[in-house]
Amino acid sequence: MSIFSKLITAIRGGATEAGQAVVDTQAIRILEQELRDSKKALGDAKTGLTSIMAEKMGVDRKVKDLNSKIKEHEGYAIQAMEKGDEVLALDVANKIAEFEQELTIQQGVLDGYESKVTNLKKIIRQTERNIQAMDREVSVVKTTEKVQKANELAAAKFSGSNSSLTSATDSLERIKARQQQREDQASAAMELESEESGDDLQARLKSAGIVDSGSSGSSVLERLKKKKESS
Amino acid sequence: MNNVKLEQLVKDLSENQLSDETQLSIEMFDGENTVACIKVEDREEFPIYMTADEGQVLCITYLFAEDEVDPAKRAELAEAMLLMNVMIPLSAFSKIGNQYIMFGALSPRASIDELLHEIELLSDNVLEAIATMSDYLKEAA
Repeated sequence: MSIFSKLITAIRGGATEAGQAVVDTQAIRILEQELRDSKKALGDAKTGLTSIMAEKMGVDRKVKDLNSKIKEHEGYAIQAMEKGDEVLALDVANKIAEFEQELTIQQGVLDGYESKVTNLKKIIRQTERNIQAMDREVSVVKTTEKVQKANELAAAKFSGSNSSLTSATDSLERIKARQQQREDQASAAMELESEESGDDLQARLKSAGIVDSGSSGSSVLERLKKKKESS
Repeated sequence: MNNVKLEQLVKDLSENQLSDETQLSIEMFDGENTVACIKVEDREEFPIYMTADEGQVLCITYLFAEDEVDPAKRAELAEAMLLMNVMIPLSAFSKIGNQYIMFGALSPRASIDELLHEIELLSDNVLEAIATMSDYLKEAA
């Protein structure tokens, strides 16, 4: 099973239960166990790689040794032939043949070790990547669980109980209403301010004598008198 | 070990406000200091929960519960969420337990400005999302 499907199992498992837990703690424990197993497997693979590389070095030495022995004996065979000692030359040639057979075998072993090392390195890289991914996913699942708990705590704190949590649309309406109220307040305040500044302007104009400083009984009477006199 | 990171983020956030000067109130949610609760001024109904670890900083807001969804429109809701997911800047829909959520994830190396931007967008997106999704919810009682 892939990591993702395990995670889905972990999350679903909890959600379908009647209780509040989102995450199936059992599934998380299993994931964590798998993570520990993978880490152990990684350690084993690394130890395996070290010992295989040591063995490979041994075989490598044998191959080099055989190659130099072949070269050495080829020199002996030539020298024997130069001396006309055909029997000795043939004996040496037989020895070389033996060495060559052994070399073929050891070379095969060496090639085997090389592909093993390559494979092991690949497996180790893959395992390391898997472990990183698993680590990440487990941490996300745990985070989710923490957030869920936090939300339950919050719900209990705000409303006294979980069930009386108001609906999302109610909350949105409340926020919108508050925003509207704030805007209304702001525009009312602005209106008030402009009125006030208008009043202020009037007062200044009056005190400057530009605008009539307001009518009073006596000023009306005065005006009427003037009107009568001029008529 | 993660708590140091979260504590630092909480401290940095407390010293900042959103671009429109909206205030944030932040508190550690639990004694273990693993979840911080961020409330955007005037939108306290939809707190943002923040967690941090080596992998990512997560900001999560709860939208509505399964029982608020109109059962007849559940499939439509799911499809609408999938369709909207790519279009919503920085936030995505998801579900925790029986709660639909909206979340944003950041690199743990993100700057405080990036985190503030994330919170601002998440808060806006949540209101937009609920307004849009209210078509699929039961009529408010």
